[in-house]
Amino acid sequence: MFDASNFIDEAIQKVREEIDGKAVVATSGGVDSAVAAIIVSRAIGDNLLSIYVDTGLMRKGEKEQVTSMLEDLDVNYEIVDAKDEFFEALEGVLDPEEKRMIIGGKFIEIFEREAKKIGAEYLVQGTIAPDWIESGGDLRDTIKSHHNVGALPEGMELKLVEPLRDLYKDEVRKVGRELGVTVSERQPFPGPALAIRILGEVTPEAAETARDACAIVEEEIEKSAEKGDMELPWQYFAGLLPIRSVGVRGDIRAYGYTIFIRAVQSVDGMTASYSRIPHEVLDKISIRITNELPQVNRVVYDITNKPPGTIEWE
Amino acid sequence: MKVFVVDNGGQWTHREWRVLRYLDVETKIVLNTTPLEELEVDGLVLSGGAPRVGLDAGMMGNNAEYLEKGEFPILGICAGHQFMAIHFGGEAGPSGIPEFGRTEIVVDEEDELFEGLPKAFQGWESHNDEVTVLPEDFIGLAHSNNCKCQAMKYLKRPIYGVQFHPEVEHTDYGNDIFKNFLNVCEENR
Repeated sequence: MFDASNFIDEAIQKVREEIDGKAVVATSGGVDSAVAAIIVSRAIGDNLLSIYVDTGLMRKGEKEQVTSMLEDLDVNYEIVDAKDEFFEALEGVLDPEEKRMIIGGKFIEIFEREAKKIGAEYLVQGTIAPDWIESGGDLRDTIKSHHNVGALPEGMELKLVEPLRDLYKDEVRKVGRELGVTVSERQPFPGPALAIRILGEVTPEAAETARDACAIVEEEIEKSAEKGDMELPWQYFAGLLPIRSVGVRGDIRAYGYTIFIRAVQSVDGMTASYSRIPHEVLDKISIRITNELPQVNRVVYDITNKPPGTIEWE
Repeated sequence: MKVFVVDNGGQWTHREWRVLRYLDVETKIVLNTTPLEELEVDGLVLSGGAPRVGLDAGMMGNNAEYLEKGEFPILGICAGHQFMAIHFGGEAGPSGIPEFGRTEIVVDEEDELFEGLPKAFQGWESHNDEVTVLPEDFIGLAHSNNCKCQAMKYLKRPIYGVQFHPEVEHTDYGNDIFKNFLNVCEENR
């Protein structure tokens, strides 16, 4: 079986041998990067700086949540506002792999810039097994280039430290619980964030729509799960499709966008089945989205398993 | 006990390693170009992979040598299973209807690999090719609606192939199949 406490001791030991000097850790607010940050901070103490990049593509209230998490973790941290940089870099980009490459490159550019300021030579990432598996290489096909693996730019100078490379999400959560990390039970949220939940061009307006829709899906599902009407899925969110369809709003023809709902059951993210959300819950989500977001007049539910689908759409 | 995983480039190679690790055997993922002499093991798992064995058999490294000369039990999964069939003189090729995700696996033959399992269970799939003709001295152990050979066994040596993926969480009894394979490895030591 997997022994979290054993893993922590060994990981701290390994990191001590690996890092000589200062390091920065890429923090997203999720469990992987939080656990990586704590392990490394236990190994090298104040020589670690946590960096959270505000890409403009995060979920509602994310920055506040991450700030309070970083305060709780009691680590050195810094928040970098890079919203304009990200939207500018993504302008006109439609291809999902190109999006991922641009985002991965942008993250590294920012981390190198910040690392230079404090003289750090190492970049700690919360990379887990599915990230490098799906990024491919050699015999393995590329399913998607994860921003922290397959989308790293050539000529990157920072040395990577990835203490969680052989773990899956359920194991990282066990380690997180052992370490007392408050975000251990948070649902997965990928690094490229809303950019891969917006099919087509990523604009500030599209990000706003996807963010609002995601918030509604999260709120309604969490509420229903709390009441015991359904099991909380492993991951649940909304995405914005660039497909417009005809509708009618207040006796006037509408021609609006489509939001899809995705919710899956999984343990490790490597296989998944779609969640059986009760129709009453889907109904509430649909009504709220189409009423609160005037640009959306259609909501669909994704009933694909993985494989052949992946959990995120891009 | 030592059971290694030969990496043929599968999405779930690392899952095979995880399942073995959870079953407390000494395990490691090795390149499929690893020379046989370097494998001092009690059993071997040949992973699935991106190579379509009918089309790019050249990417299957030393799998043939392991099958030919290995003196330990072998479990081939997906591409590893298809390659095994071709290697021993059978055939594998594109599936009439490829399977992805949930499929019902029906056990046809009582066998140590499926010991203690129900006659039918849910397996998780992801394949474009399949075994179409069994090699001589092999018997089929299980099938699904759209795939005649979901599992097979060599009658002369402890060598098995499965088309579905016992290593993923969504396959029922996957752990039990691995445990059964480890029992075979144990008996063979």
